[in-house]
Amino acid sequence: MLPINKKIFFVKSKLIKMMAAMVFVVIISSFSVKHFSAEPMQINIPSNFPSPVYDFKNNPLTKEGFELGRKLFYDGILSRTGNISCGSCHQQASAFIQADHDLSHGVDDQLGRRNSLPVFNALFKKSFFWDGGVPLLELVPANPLENPLEMDEKLDNVIKKLNASATYRTQFKNAFGVDTVSAKEFFYAFAQFMGAMISANSRYDKYVRHEGVQLTPDELEGMNVFKQKCSSCHTTDLFTDGSYRNNGITNDFSNDKGREEVTLDPADRGKFKVPSLRNVEYTAPYMHDGSFETLEQVLEHYNSGVKESATLDNLVKQNNGKTGIPLTKTEQQQIILFLKTLTDKEFLIDKRFSEL
Amino acid sequence: MKSILLSTVFLLTACYLFAVIPPAKKDKQKKSTVTLKFNNVFGNENFEFKKEYTTAFGEKLTFITLNYFISNIKFTKKDGSEYIVPQDSSYFLVKHPDSLSNIIHLENIPEGKYTAVTFTIGVDSVRNTLPIAQRSGALDVGAAARGMYWVWNSGYIFFKLEGKTVNEIDSLQKRFQYHIGGYGGYDSKTINNIKVKTLDLKELTVSNKKQPVINVQVNIAKFFDNTTPIKVAEHRSVMWGDLSVKIADNYFSIFNLGDVTYQ
Repeated sequence: MLPINKKIFFVKSKLIKMMAAMVFVVIISSFSVKHFSAEPMQINIPSNFPSPVYDFKNNPLTKEGFELGRKLFYDGILSRTGNISCGSCHQQASAFIQADHDLSHGVDDQLGRRNSLPVFNALFKKSFFWDGGVPLLELVPANPLENPLEMDEKLDNVIKKLNASATYRTQFKNAFGVDTVSAKEFFYAFAQFMGAMISANSRYDKYVRHEGVQLTPDELEGMNVFKQKCSSCHTTDLFTDGSYRNNGITNDFSNDKGREEVTLDPADRGKFKVPSLRNVEYTAPYMHDGSFETLEQVLEHYNSGVKESATLDNLVKQNNGKTGIPLTKTEQQQIILFLKTLTDKEFLIDKRFSEL
Repeated sequence: MKSILLSTVFLLTACYLFAVIPPAKKDKQKKSTVTLKFNNVFGNENFEFKKEYTTAFGEKLTFITLNYFISNIKFTKKDGSEYIVPQDSSYFLVKHPDSLSNIIHLENIPEGKYTAVTFTIGVDSVRNTLPIAQRSGALDVGAAARGMYWVWNSGYIFFKLEGKTVNEIDSLQKRFQYHIGGYGGYDSKTINNIKVKTLDLKELTVSNKKQPVINVQVNIAKFFDNTTPIKVAEHRSVMWGDLSVKIADNYFSIFNLGDVTYQ
C-alpha cells in the first residue's frame, strides 16, 4: 500500500509518460504529413471559355503531378508491347491527333476503328471519345490503354510496371506522397497533364478578347457565314455543344453504330460527338472515320455530300427535303479562312506539353 | 512549427480530459458479427473450374471465370427498422475460386433479431459515376476490379461468367462469355441491370453468443435453365446489349438462402 501522495505521483508520472508519447506521435505524424510538398500550379481559365467541368478538387494541380502526367503521356510503358504511348497517336505538332492516319495505329501496327481526337481543352468536356462512353476525365486513359487495337494492356499490369520502377515510385511519391502507386494516382497525374493542356491563344481568341488582333475582312465574313450555318452545333468558344449527331457521312452503320453502342438506343445510330474546331487546320484527317483529308472536302460534304438516313440530324436537312447546308464556293473559302484563325500556334510548340 | 505546438497542446488537453473523466456510456447498443457466405453450386454439385457440367439443354461446359459484385448490404428487423452497413465498406467482389472473397464478414451489426437481409448484385448507379477517389478496395479498377470494368463505356461489370463448351471440333468457337453490367447511363438513359435481392431470414438472432453465418446458394445451373433459356451454342458472347437484361433477370433468381448456422 503506497501512501496517498505517492499514489498521486504515480498517476501523474503515468500521465507525463502518456503526454510524452503523445508529443512524439504528434511530431512524427506532422513529419509524415509533410514528407512530400508538391509545388502548387496555376492555370488560367480563358475569359471567353465556359466554366471548366473538372475542378481539381480531389486532385490539386501541382508541378510534380503535371510533369508526371506528361512523362506517362509519352511513355510506351502504358502499352503491352512497350512502344505505343499516348503521344504516338496524339502528336503535339498535329494538335494532338495522329497525322497522316485516318484511323489510329496501335500495338502490332493494328488499325483502330476511329480517327483519334485532340486531347486539349479536356478540362471543359462533359464526356470523352466519339461516342461519349467515358463521362469522367479521370477515367479517360483506361480506354486506349485497354483497347486491344490501341495499347492492348491491362490497367493493373501498368500499375505493377510503375511500382517496379524506382524512378516512377519516387516521382509518384513526390507528386502524391504515396509509397505505392495505385490507379488513383495514375489517373490523377493524367488528369493534371491533360487538364492543364489548354489551347486558347489563337488569333480568333485574341480578337474576341480584344488583345490587339484584328481579323481580315474575309476572315470576318467567314465568321459571319460560320455563325449562320455552323454555329448551331459548333457553339461557344469551344466550338462544340458536346452533343451527338449524325452529319450524314454515311448511311451504312454496320461497322460503327456510334453513340448507339453506348446508349443501345436505335435513335442514336450513327451519331458521333460534335468535335471542337480549335486547331482544325492541323487535325486532318476529319470526321470519326477520318474520311476527309482537307477542310475543302469537309465543307463540300456539308454542301452536297450529306447522306440521308433515319437518324440524320435536322440541322443538315433543308426545308425543301434536300440534305446538306447550301454553301457557295466563296462561302466555303471564307469559312475555311475563319477556321484557320482558330489555330493556336503558341500551343502547338508550347514546350510544357512536349515530349521530354 | 507553431501549428505543431498548438495541436500538441490541444491533443494533450484532450488526452487529459479523457484520462480524468470516465468514458460516458455513449453506446449502449451491443454489436456483433454477421457473415454472408456465397456458395456457388451447379444443381446438386459443387461448382469447380475445369469440372465438366451438363446444362438442362444437354450442353457440356467447363468454367474459367465466375465473378460478381455484392454491395449495399442491409438488415431489416421485424418492425421494419433497418441496419445499413456503412456504404464505403459495403462493396465486395466474389471471385471464384478465391475462398476468402466469398466470405463477407460484417462487423458492428447491432444485436437483435432480424427478418431479412438485402444486398445489390452489382454496383449501384451513384458509385458507377463517382470520381476515382471513391473507387477503392473491391472497386479499384487498377487492382481488385481487374476485368470487372468497361473502360470504353465506363461502368462496372456486375456479373461475369466465362467458360468453354466441351467436345467441339473448332477450338476457336469453344469459348463463351457473359459480361453483364449497366447502371442506367450517365447522361442518357440506357439499360439498368442493378439487381437488389432480399432474402427472408424468418428470425435471425444476432448476439455475441450467436454469430450467424448466412449461406447464400448461387446455382449456376439455373443461370442457363431459367425464364430466358440460355443455350451457349446460340449465345456465346453476351455483353453490353439488350439480351443482358434477360440474363440479369436469370441470375437475379439464382441467389437463394441456403441455411443459417451459428459460430
